[in-house]
Amino acid sequence: MEIKSIALLGAGTMGHGIAQVCAQAGYQVNLRDVKDEFVEAGISKIRKFLGGSVEKNRITQAEADAVLGKIKGMTDLKEAVKDVDLVIEAIVEDINVKKELYKELDQICRPDTIFASNTSAQSITEMAMVTKRPGKFIGMHWFNPAQLMRGIEVITHDKTSKETVDIMVDLCKKLGKEPGVCKDSPGFMVNRLLQIWFNEGLNMYDEGIAEPQDIDTALKAAYNFRMGPFELRDLVGLDIGIASTTTHYRELMREQFRPPRCLIMKVKAGDLGRKTGKGFYEYKSGS
Amino acid sequence: MKINTVSIIGEGELIPKLKGLLSEAGFKVITADLNGDYAKLVADVDLVLEVAPEDITVKKKVFKNCDAKCQKDAILATITSKPWVTQLAKVTKRPEEVIGLNFTKNPFEEKYLVQIVKGLQTSGDTIRDVKEFLEKVGVTAVKLEENPGFILDRVIASIVNEAAVMYSSKLATKEDIDKMMKVCVNWPMGPFEFADNIGVDRVVEVLDSMAQQLGPKYQPCFLLRKMVDAGWLGKKAGRGFYVYS
Repeated sequence: MEIKSIALLGAGTMGHGIAQVCAQAGYQVNLRDVKDEFVEAGISKIRKFLGGSVEKNRITQAEADAVLGKIKGMTDLKEAVKDVDLVIEAIVEDINVKKELYKELDQICRPDTIFASNTSAQSITEMAMVTKRPGKFIGMHWFNPAQLMRGIEVITHDKTSKETVDIMVDLCKKLGKEPGVCKDSPGFMVNRLLQIWFNEGLNMYDEGIAEPQDIDTALKAAYNFRMGPFELRDLVGLDIGIASTTTHYRELMREQFRPPRCLIMKVKAGDLGRKTGKGFYEYKSGS
Repeated sequence: MKINTVSIIGEGELIPKLKGLLSEAGFKVITADLNGDYAKLVADVDLVLEVAPEDITVKKKVFKNCDAKCQKDAILATITSKPWVTQLAKVTKRPEEVIGLNFTKNPFEEKYLVQIVKGLQTSGDTIRDVKEFLEKVGVTAVKLEENPGFILDRVIASIVNEAAVMYSSKLATKEDIDKMMKVCVNWPMGPFEFADNIGVDRVVEVLDSMAQQLGPKYQPCFLLRKMVDAGWLGKKAGRGFYVYS
């Protein structure tokens, strides 16, 4: 089977970006969210992004219009999914909400429609098992911003068919992205290794071995990491960081993922990083 | 004390590079290998940089000999990547002037990062003098307390170890793991590329040292040990996680 039409469920941060990438590659996309205003917000973000690309002479206005022309916004779930080859789900990261959605999708979609979840934290296996099509269930983990980040993790579970994997790997390439295949497991590849990198940096600070600035500087100057672990924690937000580390620790049940003390204490103190003006570093407002 | 003259004692390809770097920055540099009477050459220098092989016995001997001949407040620095600063200080009569200066070559550019390693007894003055010296040399430097793996090897060995666990358990191919870390979060290299560059043997050595000092969570993945047994040590051996021609 070849993918020709795609339904994108969820028009939020990830959903709208994914929809744009699919439309840019020539696919028809139904962009669906639960309320008109969410759909409109997503489409207006796409319009803004494309407008910026036109200003920078990366694409013409006609090309931008053509991309927008391929995206149809809607709130009716049935209309969005009933005749598509692929559903990409990018809704709230709540396993129960996702499972309910997949039960419903399984009823209203064609039997050959592939289901791809953009989850970064929930089990692909668990979601696949609420459908009668586990062979056609797969993870498709994008990175933010979807329009710019080149990699996509393709997540399989024990019952994902080889055909589904091949179709998705091929699709990623057609979207201009680099696929990497990984079995369903907490954090997949990227977030799991990233947690170790974060934790080892933060652990050294906890142990009194070095200051955040020395640790960040060492990794950047010696190996050209673009940011150090403390800088990246501050940028993404320490509250998000602690949630992510805690999930890995709970799911993988290994000491390597235990949340570092300094992260716990900063969050308790309300120093959540750039967004509060202070995290591991201090930020002047406006910077 | 202000550092003007430096003596580099030891062997290896780093010596001409260090000599070039220091001379260019205006320092008077004397180099000597371990065969001759090197201690004779260190009498008037402000800083001795020991670049001997990674053997604690050899290094202790160098420190003892230099300590006997050096002027009273000269600084004795070791290039070691191991947590040996405090041990080396013990064989001298100047533990406060003993420090670690570990140079790591950036694999992408012709530049170095120096990890300034503070031993238990290293004084604040020694750290200040060394920092000032490195600033003049024009290299980026960071400071840390003596600790297995310092900053860089500790982080890199830990990500290599986790990646080896993931690869051993067949979650993904090594190629995909490396590729994803580069394209999804802009890492300069993937974990297996790091391992091959640094040396799988070095990764295992750092992990063993961390496991001993910091706890069992640093225990090396068995795949890494088997690779060392097989001689798959990385780029330098022609084969590590990848094959090099």
